[in-house]
Amino acid sequence: MEYFKNKEEVIVKKRGFADLFFLLLVVYLVLPVAATMLYAFATNWNKTILPEGLTFKWLATLFQDAEFIQAFGRSVLLSSGAVIIALLVIVPAIFVIVLYFPKYEKWIQIAVVMVYSFPGIILAVGLIRVYSQFDVPMILVVLGAYVIGILPYIYQGTRNSLRNVDARQLLDAAQLLGASKLQAFSKILLPTVYPGLFAGALLSFSVLFGEFVLINLVVGSRFETVQIYLMKKLSTSGHIASAVVFIYIVLMGLLTFVIAKLMKRSKGATNL
Amino acid sequence: MSYLVIEGLHKKYGQSTVLTNIDMKIEKGEFITLLGPSGCGKSTILRIVAGLTDASAGQVVIEGKDMMGIHPKDRQVGMVFQSYALFPNMTVKENVAFGLRVQKINTAEVDQRVQEMLALVHLSEKANVYPKELSGGQQQRVALARALIVRPKVLLLDEPLSALDAQIRKKLQADLRVIQQKLGITMMLVTHDQEEAMAVSDRIFVMNNGMIAQCGTPTAIYTSPESEFIANFIGHYNVFTRPALENMIGETLPKECSKFAIRPEAIHLDQRPGDVCFTGKAKQSLMSGNVIRTTFEGECFFTMEQLHQRGYSFELGKKYTCYVAREDVIALS
Amino acid sequence: MIVLISKRQTVAWLSPFLVLVLLFFLVPLLYMLITSFQNSDGFTLAHYQSVLTNDYILQGFKNSITLSVISAVIALIVTLFAVYAIMRFSEPVREKILILTNLTSNFSGIPLAFAFIVLLGNSGLFTLLFDQWGIDALSSFSLYSWGGLLLIYIYFQLPLSLMLLYPIYDGIQQQWKEAAALLGASTWQFWVRIGVPVMLPGIVGTFSVLFANAMGAYASAYALTNSSYNLVAIRIGSLIQGDIFAQPELASAIAVILAVTMVTAMLLSEWSISKTRRKL
Repeated sequence: MEYFKNKEEVIVKKRGFADLFFLLLVVYLVLPVAATMLYAFATNWNKTILPEGLTFKWLATLFQDAEFIQAFGRSVLLSSGAVIIALLVIVPAIFVIVLYFPKYEKWIQIAVVMVYSFPGIILAVGLIRVYSQFDVPMILVVLGAYVIGILPYIYQGTRNSLRNVDARQLLDAAQLLGASKLQAFSKILLPTVYPGLFAGALLSFSVLFGEFVLINLVVGSRFETVQIYLMKKLSTSGHIASAVVFIYIVLMGLLTFVIAKLMKRSKGATNL
Repeated sequence: MSYLVIEGLHKKYGQSTVLTNIDMKIEKGEFITLLGPSGCGKSTILRIVAGLTDASAGQVVIEGKDMMGIHPKDRQVGMVFQSYALFPNMTVKENVAFGLRVQKINTAEVDQRVQEMLALVHLSEKANVYPKELSGGQQQRVALARALIVRPKVLLLDEPLSALDAQIRKKLQADLRVIQQKLGITMMLVTHDQEEAMAVSDRIFVMNNGMIAQCGTPTAIYTSPESEFIANFIGHYNVFTRPALENMIGETLPKECSKFAIRPEAIHLDQRPGDVCFTGKAKQSLMSGNVIRTTFEGECFFTMEQLHQRGYSFELGKKYTCYVAREDVIALS
Repeated sequence: MIVLISKRQTVAWLSPFLVLVLLFFLVPLLYMLITSFQNSDGFTLAHYQSVLTNDYILQGFKNSITLSVISAVIALIVTLFAVYAIMRFSEPVREKILILTNLTSNFSGIPLAFAFIVLLGNSGLFTLLFDQWGIDALSSFSLYSWGGLLLIYIYFQLPLSLMLLYPIYDGIQQQWKEAAALLGASTWQFWVRIGVPVMLPGIVGTFSVLFANAMGAYASAYALTNSSYNLVAIRIGSLIQGDIFAQPELASAIAVILAVTMVTAMLLSEWSISKTRRKL
């Protein structure tokens, strides 16, 4: 506030205080990321403060490791599979409820809260107990659990976009002008909702990519994802592990960047 | 020495100048209005007086004391916001009591003064209610009570009634004037609604583009606009350029001005000695409240206003001869 | 509404979703709940009895709750100040900060544990640094202790806390601050009488989310020392991992108690929020 300019240093001190916390926060958050990335390029970093040298060999080894490539592929497959299923199954359901049965929306919200309240570790017990009795491939069980697990993000992505536009009015207006229900939906509603929804999908993807509990406990190394691969390398080769983390960070960084751009677009699209 | 003096106020935001050379002298107990279109800088003046924004140059003096460098909380200036700004976590009573509590006044006195103030704004029965349960008009009355109870030297009101329905607005305008007169508080109101300004003020400062265009009593401003801007902004003046008007009335105009204004209610159909005269075909008649506004097409377009009762019903398409008293042709500089 | 949706269409669009929720969420949880009260003889409380009399498991609960509460509180306090600072930056700067927050919120679990090993492990960057500088107190700090785990937990609580507190701060209107100032209140008085009370429901809600977040965390602790941390999540994990699925009912019982703990925390915060939110 401008008027503080003319006044007490107490205010200035308080400002400095908050800024200090902020700075500490940023340093604390960035340091581990930076250190790990550096480790991925270090030749040797055991006894010295800074790495002894820099090299690409860890990354090179990683990319030549078929096991890693396969693990990466499995992670991508699993995560994107779950996201796609969620988009096909959850999004229409949300639309139907929000547009036609708004009274029942609170049930979705309850579901979202419940998903938060029952994290992977608890769910894993239930899933194993139920499905180990049948001859079902456990990876499908995990897939199903993943789809439900990303409900909060998908819901948020869809709902926020819908909230900024009066969806019912838009659909009504379009249909009054002669559009069919499908046309109204695909030409009017979907483009408006699309950025926020896509952001939610990407966010879900990144969350699932980093998931460990369910995949490790329910399936284990039978379906080795990047996380499980990383766990193995943790105890054998630190440098390879850091290379994996480096790739993971880069991937997350890219996704975050795209999500941020999408959120901006979504805000613009729905700013009436 | 006037109670509130604003001298040579300038305000720049980066490259754009928002206020230029604002001079105002306000006496104690006066109700003055800053009137102008959106973006003319009137709210900025209010914020500078309150100390919420710094001026680039100039000074504000209240009761002889220079306000430079003085924190808003020490200025004894009150403000009522357009969005009410009531504290959501406090009841009406607690909101109103806030300023007194901050001064650590004892509870008994606080309770008594709050009761009096709530009675003044007719909200005694809502004392224990939370702001979100009140209507817009009620919230604004609470905001008013909250600002008045600490007996500020000057009360600033930033478009306080703009967010309210027309009916409520009219009522509150009247209430505001009554309270102001009763308590004798110096008030500065900001609005873009000229009718509001006319209804409540002792004096009006009309602003345009960061400068004061004219200052005076409501009557003075209405009857003697000094510039085309004022004539266009206040009332529904007919504004003519010199050549067009001379053409229309068939006379040369004695003054050295380039534009002239005629009030729509100054035009009539009965000839009186000394009137100027012109003709026009009635094009359209509209009702606006209790006046009939009729547009004519002659050498120029002009509008005539009549009260309903007069009952000149104009035949559209027919030519009429109109008259205006000479002194009602106002020269604009 | 011009066009109502037919009942058939409704069923078509909604049922896949409901089926999935049923199959992969409701049924497993309910089954787990029911079987935790069963053994070969029928209804029993024996499993719960063994859990509640098992000192080791109880200690695990105590550890989890303590760790969760402390990490939540610290993260909350730090971010309360940090968001206050962030609010005063310009919009483009704030956007970049939010992007950084989003990025680091993904950094949890095993990658995070590894990063901390690089920094504070036995030959970690800071361990060596403190050694060189001769600060024994710090260089003898072990990442593999509770303190070390706390640092990691705080790390992944911070971004979440930031993202949740930001909109709450945003809800504090500038005009309230101005009105309060004109009524004679100092900045401190504003925050104490108006700012914090208005934000309180949001802060309590954030705390409960942070608490739940930490209680359910598994991967970081697991990555650090497999199973030697005595946390509830780890206990459950070790009981169902591998082919030795010796005590499934015990795992269920512990899981149910964990769920109850978390739901209770959520409900408590919802209750306290609704109490204050009524007037806001």
